[in-house]
Formats: sequence, C-alpha cells, structure tokens
Amino acid sequence: MDNPIKVKIDSTADLLLLRPLDLFVRQLVQQLPAFSDHPSDVDGIELAFNEAYTNVSRHAYKGLNTKGPISIEIIVYDDRLEIYLEDRGTSFDPANVKTPDLDVPRDGGLGVWFIKKFMDQALYSTCDGKNVLLMMKRFPNS
Amino acid sequence: MEIEKKDGITIISTDERLDAVVAPKLKDTVKKIAEETSTKLIIDLEKTKFIDSSGCGALVASLRTLIKNQGDMKIARPSPQAQTLFQLTRLHRVFEIYEDMDQAIKSFS
Repeated sequence: MDNPIKVKIDSTADLLLLRPLDLFVRQLVQQLPAFSDHPSDVDGIELAFNEAYTNVSRHAYKGLNTKGPISIEIIVYDDRLEIYLEDRGTSFDPANVKTPDLDVPRDGGLGVWFIKKFMDQALYSTCDGKNVLLMMKRFPNS
Repeated sequence: MEIEKKDGITIISTDERLDAVVAPKLKDTVKKIAEETSTKLIIDLEKTKFIDSSGCGALVASLRTLIKNQGDMKIARPSPQAQTLFQLTRLHRVFEIYEDMDQAIKSFS
C-alpha cells in the first residue's frame, strides 16, 4: 500500500473514553478484509488496545490534579496494523513487567501480558518526555 | 449489572462489558453480598461480550472475598472471548464454570 490508511485521535487519558475508543478500534479492525475471517484476532487487538489505554488512564498521570493527554494513532499497511499510544506521563516500560505466575490466581497485573500475548510486537520508548507504545499485529496469512 | 436472588442463591448478571470501568463496582457489590456468611453466588456472564484483565481480576477478587467468608462463587455462560482469557490465564482451573444456568444453580445443592 503506497499510502497506508492513518487515523489519529488526540484525547484525554480518561476511563470515560475507554469504551467509545475501544469500539472505534474494534470496528476499524473488523472492517479490514484481512481480519474478516479472524474474529479472535479482532478480539485480541481490541483487548490489547483496551489494556494499553487503561494503563495510561490509570497510571501515567497518577498523582497529578489533572487528566493528561494521550494520542492514539492507527496505521494500516498492506501486511500489518500498527497502533501507537503516546502520553506525557510517568514512563513505564512493559519490558520490566515480569511474566505472571499463572499458578497463582491474580486480581491484577495481567494487562501488559495480554498485550504481549495478543499482538505480534509491543515496543515501548521514552524520549523528550513522551512515552510511546507501539503495538503491531501482522495480518493473518501475510 | 443486575442482581437477583433465587432459591437462596444470589445471581449477578454482568453487562455487555466487564472492563476497568465496571470492575471496581463488581468487587464492591460482591464485598457487600459476602458480608452474609456462606453466600452462594453465580456470576452470569451471558450478556458480557467483552472482558479484560480488570474484569478477570474482579472475578478473582470476588471469589477470594467469598471464600474468606465461607461462601462460594460459580461462573455461568461465559462468551468465547471470556473462555479464551480464562484458559490463557488458567483461571478455568480456579473458577467453576458452567455453560448452562440450571447446572450452575444445581451445583450448589
């Protein structure tokens, strides 16, 4: 695809917006022909986005009196989908999150693990006060 | 979220989504219900099409709260998406899960 499809949403990191944004991501992915016969991939991408957005809303601006900004960018290439989440809060590297011991039932801390499980790549970077999480999913059969 | 009582069993029917928005409410609700000892609770997930880590966490916390108060909790009618997460997290070994509501009710007798 010479011109990948792009959409960018500048928003406030607030759980109030979790569901509308989640549904936006879900409906976008559902419309991509590559995922039409892969409903579990659609569920997985929605879940990964949900977990990432929830983490930023809950933790990135914790302790501040105001809700902070978050930018969401989705880029659809020929063979993959990339979702970027950018915030300006406290940095948090998912690479430092330990793999959960699944023999011990947990009431939290599975979000990052779900992101890694359902996406093909999850890269986190911090630069000039901006934290960026890139989540990439290759198209099935590509 | 709807709550009803049937034959001494409390049934909580969760909404379309069990996510970070409603997980705290579920935990609080179960905490109040569990104040009575030996509470029998069924979480009916029939309407819930989407569950996330917060939702899974709320279910684990609910089960813990009930067990602490000599109660018990069963899960009924999880969606394919919920079943996938329960298997992935091995929570299908922790929860008693029933595909049928009558079976879930009978399991308490």
